[in-house]
Amino acid sequence: MFNTIEEYLEALRSEMKDADLALVQDALADAREHLSTALAEIRESSPKTKEADALKKVIEEYGTPEETASAYKEVERRTSPALKQTPKSYSFLGAIFGVYADPRTWGALLFMFIAFVTGIIYFTWAVTGLSLSLSLSVFIFGLPLAILFLLSVQGLALLEGRLVEALLGMRMPRRPLFAQRGLKWFERLKVLVSDKHTWFSLLYLILQMPLGVLYFSLMVTLLFLSLGFMVVPVVQWVFHFPTYQINSVGYDLPVWSLLLIQLGGFLLLTLALHLARAIGWLHGRYAKALLVTE
Amino acid sequence: MDTSLATKKFQKEMNAGTSSLVLLSVLSRSKKSMYGYQIAKHLEESGPEIPMMKQGTLYPVLRSLEENGLLESLVEPSVSGPPRRYYKITEDGKLALKDWLGIWKQTKKFVDSNLKG
Repeated sequence: MFNTIEEYLEALRSEMKDADLALVQDALADAREHLSTALAEIRESSPKTKEADALKKVIEEYGTPEETASAYKEVERRTSPALKQTPKSYSFLGAIFGVYADPRTWGALLFMFIAFVTGIIYFTWAVTGLSLSLSLSVFIFGLPLAILFLLSVQGLALLEGRLVEALLGMRMPRRPLFAQRGLKWFERLKVLVSDKHTWFSLLYLILQMPLGVLYFSLMVTLLFLSLGFMVVPVVQWVFHFPTYQINSVGYDLPVWSLLLIQLGGFLLLTLALHLARAIGWLHGRYAKALLVTE
Repeated sequence: MDTSLATKKFQKEMNAGTSSLVLLSVLSRSKKSMYGYQIAKHLEESGPEIPMMKQGTLYPVLRSLEENGLLESLVEPSVSGPPRRYYKITEDGKLALKDWLGIWKQTKKFVDSNLKG
């Protein structure tokens, strides 16, 4: 029925076409690992077995694409994603202030700070690797270098996916994409270059720096501005420090305005957290679109 | 009603619970980390005449056990093919296995005593 492992994987993929893309990628990686290991074992233990018979036996033990697909869907249904969806609050106040209790808010906030650091690392790596691979491609040793670089891009994309799933709650691949076996250097490069997944991942890594800087500065500004508003009364009352100075004369704010300023700071903080959660949601979708293969 | 379909469904539901228990127990007894194919082979050898669940269904279960922190895994390159994922039981996994064995014994007793009538 199936003549090669690739055909089986193709059937498995079409069987899972309505499943989550990340789940499909995991299932394909598992199947490829198992089938090629089992096949290699048969080849070793009884070299006389015909290739087609060996594959038939291996697949029979592994299960048909339908069986495998339904097993993955079944388990995925029982496994909750990293960050569970909190029940929606329909009361007005609940919708506004529930943001403090929502794990996705704090995950997104943490992600935006981390993206600043990872963004710089990704950018440096991507630009250095790309320019080195391009300029050295005139030499013969440029080829393995380009392959290593493109493989590292896929590795970084998987890593970033894990980060996105942990912090933003978006289901991402948990297994790397495996390359086909037995390819020559040049063919392997051709596969990598013709795979649009590679280029989307590279684009993501490069764009992560401006995005990371934007996220970081936006969040630092908003958080410290709102915290600043909230501590004005403490500074003025407890430390007797004037709130503002004009011509070296310090002025205190009238008492009635202090509470208003504090309230404003709290509302700004709430707004900032809403913004963080919304950006986290958007970034999760954006990451999935660029980093997950179809 | 096609009874073979119902039987298939029953078999699937039975496997859903027991496969987690069996996998956890196999990995707790193994001193070294094991990869999927090794585990499947091991299961086949320990009960060759029992119609086992399809090997392909083990992988999603391994993955969900890892998601729940009962197993941990490591990808290592192999000589003969794509990299392999090696699974190992965690401390949490050992604790869970102890509870699960208790549940299994109770279930077994309950089912057996009711089947005898």
